[in-house]
Amino acid sequence: MTALDRIPRGARGVAIMGIVVGLVGLELALPPLQVQAAAIPIVLGLAALACAIWAISRHERKLGLWTLFVAVVATAFAIWVQDQSDTSTSLVVNSGLFAATLVYATPLAYAALGGIFSERSGVVNIGLEGMMLTGAFFGIWGTVWSGHWEIGLVVAMVSGAVVALVHAVFSIHLRADQIVTGTAINFLALGITGYAFIDIYGSNGTPPSIDSVPNVNLPGVDSIPGIGGVFGSLNLMIWIVFALLILTEVILFRTPIGLRIRSVGEHPRAADTVGIPVYRVRYVCVILSGILAALGGAYLSVGFVGSFGQNMTAGRGFIALAAVIFGKWRPYGAFGACLLFGFANGLADRLQSVAGVSPNLLATLPYVLTLIALVGLVGRSRPPAADGQPYVKG
Amino acid sequence: MPDAPLLELRGITKRFGEVVANDSIDLEVAPGEVHALLGENGAGKSTLMNVLYGLTSPDSGEIRFDGKPLRLRSPHDAIDAGIGMVHQHFMLIPVMTVTENIVLAAEPHNGPLLDVRKAQEDVRTLSERYGLAVRPEARVESIGVAQQQRVEILKALYRSARLLILDEPTAVLTPQETHELFQVVKALKEQGTSIIFITHKLGEVLEVSDRITVLRRGKAVATVTTAGSSERELAELMVGRPVLLRVEKGAAQPGDVLLSVRDLVVHESRGLEAVRGASFEVRAGEIVGLAGVDGNGQSELVEAITGLRKPTSGDIVAEGHELAGHGARTSFEAGVGHIPEDRHLRGLVLDFTLAENLGLRDVRHSPASRWGFLRPRAIAERARRLLSEYDVRGGGPTTRAGSLSGGNQQKVVVAREMSGTRRILVAAQPTRGLDVGAIEFVHQRLVAVRELGVAILLVSFELDEILSLSDRILVMYEGRIVAEHTPDVSESVLGVEMMGGRSAAAV
Amino acid sequence: MTDRIKAWLRAKAPAVLLPVGTTVLAFAIGGLVVALTGHNPFEAYKAIFNGTGLNYLLPWTSAEDKDFAALNLQQTLILTTPLMLTALAVALPFKCGMFNIGGQGQYVVGIVASIIVGTHFAGLSQPVHLTLAVVAAALAGAVWGGIAGAMKAAVGAHEVISTIMLNWIAIYGAQYLFELNGPLQGPLRDVPQSSEVADSAKLPAIWGVLQPLHAGIFLALAALVVYHILINRTVFGYEVRAVGHNSEAARYGGIGVSRSYIATLAIGGAFAGLAGSCDVLGWEFHIVTNDIAVSQIGFIGIAVALLGRNEAIGIAFAALLFGGLQVGTSPRALDPTIFPPQLAGNLAIIIQGLIILFVGAQLLLVYAWRARRGRRAEAPPTTTLIEPTGA
Repeated sequence: MTALDRIPRGARGVAIMGIVVGLVGLELALPPLQVQAAAIPIVLGLAALACAIWAISRHERKLGLWTLFVAVVATAFAIWVQDQSDTSTSLVVNSGLFAATLVYATPLAYAALGGIFSERSGVVNIGLEGMMLTGAFFGIWGTVWSGHWEIGLVVAMVSGAVVALVHAVFSIHLRADQIVTGTAINFLALGITGYAFIDIYGSNGTPPSIDSVPNVNLPGVDSIPGIGGVFGSLNLMIWIVFALLILTEVILFRTPIGLRIRSVGEHPRAADTVGIPVYRVRYVCVILSGILAALGGAYLSVGFVGSFGQNMTAGRGFIALAAVIFGKWRPYGAFGACLLFGFANGLADRLQSVAGVSPNLLATLPYVLTLIALVGLVGRSRPPAADGQPYVKG
Repeated sequence: MPDAPLLELRGITKRFGEVVANDSIDLEVAPGEVHALLGENGAGKSTLMNVLYGLTSPDSGEIRFDGKPLRLRSPHDAIDAGIGMVHQHFMLIPVMTVTENIVLAAEPHNGPLLDVRKAQEDVRTLSERYGLAVRPEARVESIGVAQQQRVEILKALYRSARLLILDEPTAVLTPQETHELFQVVKALKEQGTSIIFITHKLGEVLEVSDRITVLRRGKAVATVTTAGSSERELAELMVGRPVLLRVEKGAAQPGDVLLSVRDLVVHESRGLEAVRGASFEVRAGEIVGLAGVDGNGQSELVEAITGLRKPTSGDIVAEGHELAGHGARTSFEAGVGHIPEDRHLRGLVLDFTLAENLGLRDVRHSPASRWGFLRPRAIAERARRLLSEYDVRGGGPTTRAGSLSGGNQQKVVVAREMSGTRRILVAAQPTRGLDVGAIEFVHQRLVAVRELGVAILLVSFELDEILSLSDRILVMYEGRIVAEHTPDVSESVLGVEMMGGRSAAAV
Repeated sequence: MTDRIKAWLRAKAPAVLLPVGTTVLAFAIGGLVVALTGHNPFEAYKAIFNGTGLNYLLPWTSAEDKDFAALNLQQTLILTTPLMLTALAVALPFKCGMFNIGGQGQYVVGIVASIIVGTHFAGLSQPVHLTLAVVAAALAGAVWGGIAGAMKAAVGAHEVISTIMLNWIAIYGAQYLFELNGPLQGPLRDVPQSSEVADSAKLPAIWGVLQPLHAGIFLALAALVVYHILINRTVFGYEVRAVGHNSEAARYGGIGVSRSYIATLAIGGAFAGLAGSCDVLGWEFHIVTNDIAVSQIGFIGIAVALLGRNEAIGIAFAALLFGGLQVGTSPRALDPTIFPPQLAGNLAIIIQGLIILFVGAQLLLVYAWRARRGRRAEAPPTTTLIEPTGA
């Protein structure tokens, strides 16, 4: 296959190309390039629009609609950016925005990956929020107690595993309603972490200057225009989540283990009849989801904020759940959703200080998008077939 | 026939509560033999095969495979021993590909990763060797039922099955596909694989098997060589000579046509045609019995008439109202009562009281309610009356339906559907799971209601019930009405027609 | 005679013993947590009990203690009111086989509607203005719940997910409305707070002077009665219960399954919206964005419904329990020298979580109880509180 052959020609490829073209038009208008000629994003936007129409007319409806969406929104945004004065735009849109996107998206991504494992094996996990919070607290506690962030992370993972074990026992063995159990977990985590926090650290809170997860400084990357500022010194845990993302995708979709996990989530009886241990697979996946969600919470406390506050996850676990649904229970899709939500959040912060757009309004964005996904406007969001149903052997 | 049998089942017995599903069954299968297991519904075929495949353990008895005793704790053990099963309801994962389904839990791998190419190659090789055409990259949900079945077979062969159990494989196939399946069976036989072929269709059994074992009410009544047998002999063995519950009834005086079905075509949930153009009429004051083995479209026919399934085409007219495509309420209000074949699924809400269940169909009308409010005293009174009239034991109006015995539960359903002013009654398996006394009671009621001028369509798998109650008998086979008789027809003629035998002329 | 009583008790026992037993177990474990962290659980629980104000009802409470207890009891009852309503918001859809986690969002929407109607239309007389505000809140909640019902009926969207999403949309949406420079911000420009509700839209006070108990409690009790009648005495309730137990049989009986889904979620939402109006028109009289952020009334309502087994009487008692727990552990009512209120607040949350957890596995406890009484033990059934509806 020569390089020429790799140029996408099918309707799908054209749609993807259209998305890229639209985004390029936007990137050109943003700092640091800040091309001022309005013609450029408009022309590129029209090209993207053409790609969208081509794709849709060739029955690539879903992706084509996305291309259309990107073409319109990216072009409008680009023109708006050009309209703004030089300084205010670069205050809003800069490498800081993209770094903020990643920072906000990372804890979501950890939890979302955990959620994907659990749900792919057929166990609904509404308790991601509680597991994240548990990890956030015990991560800090472990770090303070031992003096090292590594130990703190390990303690966080163990705490997440324990909470997940409770969820697993009640949901799998006792066959209790998984949603009720998940809700209980959220309450318990909130209460237990709050209680322990007050009891141990009192009203002064956690000690200042706790050992925190270091950033990874990549020499030389800083000087690359545009992206350099973003990737030059990202936190270690962000790099880890990238790795976990790829690992999850590979495990679930390229290995025998992943095939078996998915079979348990789709049709546990069929899996049982070929000898796959359904209960064991579900237990492992639920515990894994607890570990990952806890890591996400730990990143928040140990890696980023540097302290713990009661209920500091503030609903991120639910956003992670939304990301899983929005990403159709696939790792890359969920990560993309996390990035989208992170971008909206970062944008909201900046827009508030510059243009006064309400952050609360923008905060509804992840949930509105997920509702739209649920209704199927962007293609049916279909969970694993046996998701949420307890399996009775025999 | 070679000497040493591949599989021996000796004295297999399995009970579920009081029901003896398998009663000391012996079975022998030689290597490279196609052995048919023939029997009606409830004869015990599925239970026996579940035992053989490790899904259930027998209460007593022994399994010997290749001369060695075999203890099966799970399907895993059966697969390891070389026994494969193609279930009647496929155990395939719809969103996964053919290849993935076949190699699941025995995947070829390259280090930690799946070796998709090798898997597809293996599938292709196997497919060619046995003549089972499949598309390895296709998703199971998008291929037809016949191909899905081939995937199931390949699944078993991939795990080196030496004994293959096919559970009612032709239930979902067209005649052409059935023919192709038989070719496959012959190919497998030539390669030395033994096959247990479970079915209730006589014609096929004679065509494809070497020996036949007939099960009836949990017992193995005979094992015959196919070469020397005939449809009549098999039909008699299957159906046997049960005690005929003859009901006292006068001659029928059929009046106007109350229910008329014309050219009805109904598809079932998987998209297959279940009813392939059925036409018949039921008059006031007559009982029309629809005979046939389960799975020939009766369920879908009943669902269409009672408004629970939309027919694809055709007419259903009840007392002048067009019913086709409208819901259950329309059907009910047109005067069609329905005793459903599965009282737990449809007929009753087990968590409701008897009084509440008796009102399930007409709760919106007087006397059960007024202006949206329930009238508990009226409901309870009606319940008391019906419960005593139909001799329901085990509780009163406030008893939870789930705590009654099966027979009494059915009496509640019957009481509800037969009382009131409905002029048409569709009774599907009305005496399923009932003891003799209850059966007699229901039969008497059906006749009594007939005397009042109700048009009754009786759908039953029990031939003796059909014979003793019906004024006219229709036979349904593979979605069509294939025969019509007067009640003095012989059992064996009916049995043959039910099994798709010779007189298969569409009515 | 005693035999009959015994038989009646034995029949009713699971219905009462189970919630009581679950509660006792949860409190016991909570007490263990307290003890393990170096406090005296008995003292702590006694202090919490006094904080609820229920000691007002005890004959041996001294006169001066009674004054303080009265204040606490008023607070408890003020909190019990919306809890009964948000529990109904969960209970009704449960009867139809659905889990409405959206009570919080429906409550918030009710708050917004009450504020809007309550702060405008100042010229109306009290009965009219009040009624309008209450009805608006109920309607708003009904719409919010109805959206989830419609989504389920139309595309089969799982109501748990859609209601969770709607919760957050409502919460952030309401915060936006009342934030600094938000469209509904009140006259105080440096506080993210709404305008004051007009006097003509306030619920009359019944008992007490300083933040008195208001007439909303009658509204809540009436709602409980309406719920009970609706579920048990009407055709609608019959149909809803049929769908909840066995949607196939319901369909066979000619009952509209989709209609039931939408109706129950809408009515449930109306109850939660009503809860919002009780709080706003009964004692809050204005909303600060922070109130919306910290409110957990909808979620606690889930615990109340579960503990009360979705029955009106059970919900009343469970609401009292949880309301008391909240008030008794608050800094206002709890003596900090005996047990720090911040710890107590979290203890309350732990106990709530334990109750939800145990209720979820309730049927298993029933099975264990039966097994001990000598019945033949079979494999435990699936303990879904929500019967698979399979629509």
